[in-house]
Amino acid sequence: MAVFKNNELILEHSFDRSTKRHYLNGQVSVLHCHHYSTLYTQLALDAQKTALLAESAEEAFYEYLAEYFDKHNLAAIATKIDIACQLYAAIGLGKMRVNYLGDDSGEVELLSSHVDSGWIKKWSTYDAPVNYIGAGYITAMFSAVLAEQRNAFQANETQSIVMGAETSIFNVVRR
Amino acid sequence: MAINRQKIIEDLSQIEVNGDENGIIEGYNVLVNQLPAKFWNTFADKLTHSVEPDLLEATEYLLYNAAHECGYHTGYGIITSEEWKAVVAPMIENVPEDILHGAYAVFTAWGWADSEIVELVPGQKMVVRAYNYYEADVVKYGRSKKMSAYMITGVSAAFMELAYAGEYDSAGKAVGTFVGKQVKGIECGDSYGEFVVTKATE
Repeated sequence: MAVFKNNELILEHSFDRSTKRHYLNGQVSVLHCHHYSTLYTQLALDAQKTALLAESAEEAFYEYLAEYFDKHNLAAIATKIDIACQLYAAIGLGKMRVNYLGDDSGEVELLSSHVDSGWIKKWSTYDAPVNYIGAGYITAMFSAVLAEQRNAFQANETQSIVMGAETSIFNVVRR
Repeated sequence: MAINRQKIIEDLSQIEVNGDENGIIEGYNVLVNQLPAKFWNTFADKLTHSVEPDLLEATEYLLYNAAHECGYHTGYGIITSEEWKAVVAPMIENVPEDILHGAYAVFTAWGWADSEIVELVPGQKMVVRAYNYYEADVVKYGRSKKMSAYMITGVSAAFMELAYAGEYDSAGKAVGTFVGKQVKGIECGDSYGEFVVTKATE
C-alpha cells in the first residue's frame, strides 16, 4: 500500500544544457562553500552592511518560499512552516525549529547552522552573532507564511552557536 | 588534450546534493550550500553600488577574495573527490594542464559559469572565457560600466594556484600567488566574459 507523507518538500532540480544553469524549484541555484558564505559575512561585518546581507537573503528567499506556497496551494500555517524548515535544511543552511510564530512576534531556534559551523571551522568561535543569512531567511519565512509583503519583520539573534551556545535563537518582531 | 569537456559536463551536472539530518551538506572538504544565485548577486550588486567611491576598489577586492579562498579550498576538494576520480581523472594525460581544463568543465557543470580556458601559458598566464554566468544577471537591459564577475575572477586565480603554486595547503598560504582580472563582461555588453590570471607581483 502506498504511503503518502504530508508536508514533504518537493525539490525539482533541473540543469539547462544551453545556459549551463542549475534550477532548484525554478530558481537559479549555485553550490558554494562555507569559505564563501563566511567571507561574505565577514565582509558585511567589516563594511557595517550586515543589514544588507540579511535583506539580500530575505529578498531571495521570500520569492522562493512565496512561489512554492502558491504553486502547491499551501494555506495552513503549520504546513508552510514545515516546508520552510525542510527547505532550509535541504539547501544546507541547517536545522531550524520554529518555537512559535505570531502576528507580531516569534522565536526561531537553529539546532545546527551552516554559517556558524562554517565560521568555527574557518576561524574558531566569535564574540558576536554572524548568521545574517539565516536572519534573512527567517524574516522571509515569517512574511511568506503570513502572506505579507516582504520586510514586515526583523529578526535579532540573541543566542549563537558561533559564540559557544548549543543552539542559535532568533527573536522575531514586526517592524 | 584528452579532456572530454562535454562528457564531464553531462555526467557531473546531474549530481544532486541535499542536506543531511542536521541540514548540513558536507563534501569536497567543505560545508556546501545551494542558495539562489539571486542572493549572491543582490548582496554584491547593492554593496558595490552603495559604498563610497573611494571604498569601491577595496570592497570589490573583498568580494574577489571571498571567491579566491573558496576556489582554492573547494577546488582542491573537487579535484580530489570520488566524482573527479571516476569521471575526469581517467582523461588526464598532461598534469597539471589537463587538470585545469577539467576543472573548468566541472565549474561549468556546477552552474557557476559556462566557461573554458582559451589560453594557457604553464605557470605564467591563463585566459578564461565565460559564455554564460549568473553574475551577469545583475544587468537585465543595457550595459553596466562596472564588471561584476568577482566569483569567476577569484576562482580562476585559485585554480592557477592549485595548478602551479605547490602542494595544497589547508591554511591557504598559496592564495595570492596569482591574481585574476576581469577584462570583458556580458554585463558590460560584451558577448562573453573574459578573465586573465597572471603571477602576482611581489
